[in-house]
Amino acid sequence: MQLKNIKTYLLAMLFAAAGWTGCNIDEVPDPNNPSLAPILEDATVNELQALVFGVEQIARDEVGFYYDVTSIIGRDYWFFTSSDPRYTGELLGKDNAMLDNAGFYGTRPYSGRYRNVKQCNILIEAVTNSSADISDAERNGYYGFANTMKAYELLLVLNLQYQNGIRTDVADADNLGPFRSYDESLRDIADLLAEAYGQLGNAGDAFKFNLSGGFAGFDTPETFAQFTAAVQARVAIYQNSPTEALNHLDNSFLDLAGDLGTGPFRFYSTAGGEELNPVFRTPDQSEALVAHPDFVASLDPADARNAKIAERPSGALTFDGLTGTHDVVLWNSQSTPIPYITNEELVLIYAEANIGSDNTEAISALDVVRTGNGLASYGGADDDDAVTDEMLAQRRLSLFAQGHRWVDMRRYDRLDELTLDRPNDDVWIQLPRPVTENE
Amino acid sequence: MKKKKLDKVLLLAGAFLLWSSMAMAQFKVSGTVTDDGGDPLIGVTVLAKGTAVGTFTDFNGKYTINLPGESAELEFTYVGYATYTAMVDRSTVTMDVVMDDAATQLDEVVVTGLATSVKRTNLANSVASISSAELSGTVVPTTTDAALYGKAKGTNISANSGAPGGGIRMNLRGITSINGSSQPLFIVDGVFIDNSSVAAGLNIVSQAAGGGSQSNQDNPSNRLADLDPNDIENIEILKGASAAAIYGSRASGGVVIITTKRGRAGQTKVDVSQSIGFTTILNPLGVRDWTEERVANSSRFAGDVDLYNEAVASGTLQNYEELLYGNTGLLSNTRLSISGGSDKTQFYLGASFKDEEGIVENTGYEKTNIRLNLDHEIADWLTIAASTNYINSSADRGFFNNDNSGTTMGVAYSATPAWAQLLPDEDGNYPANPYAASNFLETAARITNNESIDRFLGGATATASLYTTDYTSVQLILRGGLDHYVLNTTAIFPNSVQFQRDGNGLNGVSVQGNTLNTNTNLSAFLVWSQYLNSGVSFRTQVGVTNETFDRNTILAEASDLIGSQTNVDQAGNRNTNQTRLIQEDKGFFVQEEVNLNDKLVLTAGIRGDKSSNNGDPNQLYFYPKASAAINIHEFDVLPEALSQLKLRAAYGESGNFATFGSKYTSFAPFIVGGNSALAINNVRGNENVGPERQSELEFGVDLGFSNNRFLFDATYYIKSVDDLLLNADVPTSTGFIRQVTNAAALQNKGIEIGLNANVVQSADFNWFARLSWWKNNATVTRLDVPSFTTGGFADFLGQYRIKEGESPTQIIGVGDPEMADDDGLVVFGDAEPDFQMSWYNSINFSNFSFTFLWHWKNGGENINLSTLLFDLNETTHDYDDIDLDPDGALGNGDYRLSQLGVNTEPYIEDAGYLRLREVGLYYTIPRSAFNDVCSVTVGVSGTNLLNFFDYNSYDPEVSNFGAGGLSSSVEVLPFPSSKRYNFHVRASF
Repeated sequence: MQLKNIKTYLLAMLFAAAGWTGCNIDEVPDPNNPSLAPILEDATVNELQALVFGVEQIARDEVGFYYDVTSIIGRDYWFFTSSDPRYTGELLGKDNAMLDNAGFYGTRPYSGRYRNVKQCNILIEAVTNSSADISDAERNGYYGFANTMKAYELLLVLNLQYQNGIRTDVADADNLGPFRSYDESLRDIADLLAEAYGQLGNAGDAFKFNLSGGFAGFDTPETFAQFTAAVQARVAIYQNSPTEALNHLDNSFLDLAGDLGTGPFRFYSTAGGEELNPVFRTPDQSEALVAHPDFVASLDPADARNAKIAERPSGALTFDGLTGTHDVVLWNSQSTPIPYITNEELVLIYAEANIGSDNTEAISALDVVRTGNGLASYGGADDDDAVTDEMLAQRRLSLFAQGHRWVDMRRYDRLDELTLDRPNDDVWIQLPRPVTENE
Repeated sequence: MKKKKLDKVLLLAGAFLLWSSMAMAQFKVSGTVTDDGGDPLIGVTVLAKGTAVGTFTDFNGKYTINLPGESAELEFTYVGYATYTAMVDRSTVTMDVVMDDAATQLDEVVVTGLATSVKRTNLANSVASISSAELSGTVVPTTTDAALYGKAKGTNISANSGAPGGGIRMNLRGITSINGSSQPLFIVDGVFIDNSSVAAGLNIVSQAAGGGSQSNQDNPSNRLADLDPNDIENIEILKGASAAAIYGSRASGGVVIITTKRGRAGQTKVDVSQSIGFTTILNPLGVRDWTEERVANSSRFAGDVDLYNEAVASGTLQNYEELLYGNTGLLSNTRLSISGGSDKTQFYLGASFKDEEGIVENTGYEKTNIRLNLDHEIADWLTIAASTNYINSSADRGFFNNDNSGTTMGVAYSATPAWAQLLPDEDGNYPANPYAASNFLETAARITNNESIDRFLGGATATASLYTTDYTSVQLILRGGLDHYVLNTTAIFPNSVQFQRDGNGLNGVSVQGNTLNTNTNLSAFLVWSQYLNSGVSFRTQVGVTNETFDRNTILAEASDLIGSQTNVDQAGNRNTNQTRLIQEDKGFFVQEEVNLNDKLVLTAGIRGDKSSNNGDPNQLYFYPKASAAINIHEFDVLPEALSQLKLRAAYGESGNFATFGSKYTSFAPFIVGGNSALAINNVRGNENVGPERQSELEFGVDLGFSNNRFLFDATYYIKSVDDLLLNADVPTSTGFIRQVTNAAALQNKGIEIGLNANVVQSADFNWFARLSWWKNNATVTRLDVPSFTTGGFADFLGQYRIKEGESPTQIIGVGDPEMADDDGLVVFGDAEPDFQMSWYNSINFSNFSFTFLWHWKNGGENINLSTLLFDLNETTHDYDDIDLDPDGALGNGDYRLSQLGVNTEPYIEDAGYLRLREVGLYYTIPRSAFNDVCSVTVGVSGTNLLNFFDYNSYDPEVSNFGAGGLSSSVEVLPFPSSKRYNFHVRASF
């Protein structure tokens, strides 16, 4: 090429380059993840299936914060860790420590649960908009599943927030519903469960989707509705409506003669891409879930529930002025499932709902739990107070480390009966509303 | 650019051509240019001032130039030499010139534009310039960014930790972003280089992102570390938008322009050098001074009195700080450079090999670096300059920083008392540490945390003189650059270590990461210089640019390892993650410079940019700039002693693209019971996200005295950043936690003062000193969301707070309710230093040269959570001293703990320091001693040899969260910093 030609060529290139800025830059779709918008607009059955498993995923993710916080405040156990002083400081109200409205113990269990509420709302919207070949009955199946799971997650948030109340209508992120009072929130949750129960009743014989092994035995509209009814019963006793509770128990999987451990659960596995049980901690370490000494003391040596804790081979552990001798081994591996609700809890709800109207029936239900755990039958008084005490004692032992003790003592206005371990410790009534929730 | 506009440009161009072809009579001048030793200088630029006429000296230092008109002022410029000017007229036939190599800073040429440079005397901005001698002439710097400490006003450079292989953050004139990056753009010979930090996936073991914090705490190095400082000829730092507007949306953090060494025509020069040295911990803290009484009174160790007494009796009380951090690391740096060339082709070849050990066993850094720079003149109007650089490095960085599993070496060490017995038995078996999740000596011996790099940097610039007459020159400059690297991260935690065996942890973890990064940049510029008879000149530039970024990280995590296998397929559990980052930017710019006889220099320009990262990828964002410099000394009105007086002002705007991914709302994939699941992410996308916008106004004055022997400069700037991208918290009942929004503004104001003095100038004694002083103050001027805290773990542990009217780097905590403000928080400090100062000295006497650099950072606080973790474990070195408790009753440890949750103050500490950054003494044995074959230089040097600070840890320079966002100055048991000693030998042939 002649040099002169090169000059012309170079000039031409420059003009070409100048024109080229005018060219458009292509929109880069998210290269890492599927985007929300196309799924909301028109999801395939496969995508809806992935969303359903997504609900199960979020339900098991971060739930450790819920169980740790409720169990620590409820004096079921302590968490000794040199990595974060708040577990033995703020959560136990050490000295002047106050709960922080930006602290992880309040914000993480809150955001983690609402994330699933969002996922359920996305599932509902995606099912509504989907042009895939899905019958009305099958759509009801999705709705019934989503609404049940949504109500369950809202109930966990409400347990933490208590009298702060919560938002129950959060479908539109730009226009969130108001904070409802505690009673209103409970009512909204009950209504949502009733809606779900109705939808499941009109959902045909089978779901259009599969559920993981965690819902084995609860994976048809009929059997899943038994789970919905079980949650309804839990809400009813929170609402102090024993009659309602008994009605819901009729529809649930309550089986006074059955395996106390029956119930749907969150699935954990050490396989790749799966979640590990977030509450499991290796026993006998310096970082430890240590059973509260008061809980240890309350266990009869014959009680099968002793298996939930284990004496530390290396001896007592002291941290931040607290000393314990037993580790919590309720979750004994990284793949131990965590139940949503068990037959054992339903039996105890049945007992509770009968107190005051049929104490004999209540005691015989409590005996199901007692004998089921290797204890003799109840031999105490049968007046309401005594049976209530026994019911709460059995709930403490049976539902240990699952976030019930604190809620139960609060329901019965007995938080002052929880043991304080250091002179200036406090028992909190509720978690502060997260700082980001401005009305 | 639109076609219509182009037509206009062409028309205008035609008019100029016509005008300039009316050339006048010419005369010819020739001569020889030599240095003061009489050796010819090859390639000296000879330019007739006020014209486009110019030439270079040839192989014998000779030149011939045809000059227009009756007389001319010839300007001779050569890198490293003082510019020489001479008046010539028709009667001059020969003009021989001797050039002086004692170049003062004033004469240098500063590369500020994309395609052009400006003489420092005509510059309207304060541009810091660092020469090769200052950068790497005194000590062997670990990395290029580490070589910049204290050498440029307006910079704030801080190491994240002392781990081998680097990890440094750099801010110019304050922070310019809250959640986005405040890091400058680095350009090496026109190649936009990647400076990211890629995490190695240690979180699976450290669990650091549990608890309150989600960010990466893997402490990776930043990729600027790959560049060899010895290859660098010069670094220029454009500190804000007023200087860097021409770089548009990538310039909000400033621009660091790195020019590497190039060959010169003439005799081939060969340089061989070797340095050998060692490194030790910079500031050992010591360990708690235990007594039987203290053990008995301790809440954690009360049952250990017998163990303690046994250890005392058997003399096995250990100093674990020494055992963990006491390694004397050997340092070896070998270097070879060859340069030379003919008048048509010049080359520079640099090769170096670095092998440095760290202060912790099995840590270290190895790097091989090869650079080849070529310049070739294809035709008298067309030159091409190519730069290539290959880097291969490997850094073993240990396992440090925050964790939630008690396994990092620092955290485990903090939990271990002196009577613990952690040393291995004869067979090398380490006992389990009963006081922590890991035996850190075993961890140091057994685990791997390695980053290795294969990187190629390549760039080429073609400069074509399309049209040249006596008064006109039109140049086309085409440039392309490529930065390509493969980063392999390898983290192996064998199932034989304490925290992976016997059912602990995950029974062995192997995390292997592979990052493929390819950046390209292409640009084309047309530069049109027009000189008028009156001495007025115009320079017009137009250009277009295109940059693409593509990064693909695949992280394979394997746990439950089979036996001692480390391949990721030899494991019970496998998990892979892929993260991609794809971005394309396009831009154009136009700039006009007017120079009135060097008396008044005016510049105005505009840049337009668009990016696929913005909500609308085709929205153009515009960034204008304008500046003026008045050289009053050119008006001949000043007294003799005042040799320079320049007043300058500059204004410019720049931006910072939205971070990648901020516009997407997406799902994340999971497996539930073996089934694929999609779970909504907790970050809400923002379809309207746009760039952060910065505008900077800068004023300054430059003064020179006694023929510029003493130079003084002062600059004041106001740098405002609007539309700041915030990772704004959203009500979490939405199901989301965050959303990136343009929702705040901040302002930096600052002063920079410099004094350069040739204190002593004589035949065999020269002393050059440079004193620099700078400070910056930042304020949040607008905040559309409620004030919020960020950057740490929790308010009671100290965090940054973003609040309107306050400094964005202020550190808050909990404290006395009476001191608390309306957020219920107490302000305890600010990470921003009150001011910084540096003092550089270079003293030459006969064949000795002595150089030292002091660096003083005054004020600025850190959040010291290392001390907190030591305190919680009752092992702090000052646990029993009593100097904090106002009542004088409690020991420091007990006092600090008593304040935990109530008063954050004890953990927020002054992080100011005074440091002897560099000191070096060299002796050159002249060529005559070696039969003129070579000269040999021998010397000793030290880095960070003297340190003065009150800070209660290893080093106030630290960042647990690395370089990203607003999170520096938080310390959680990092890899401690070190000091370095080196011995040097260099032979120059």
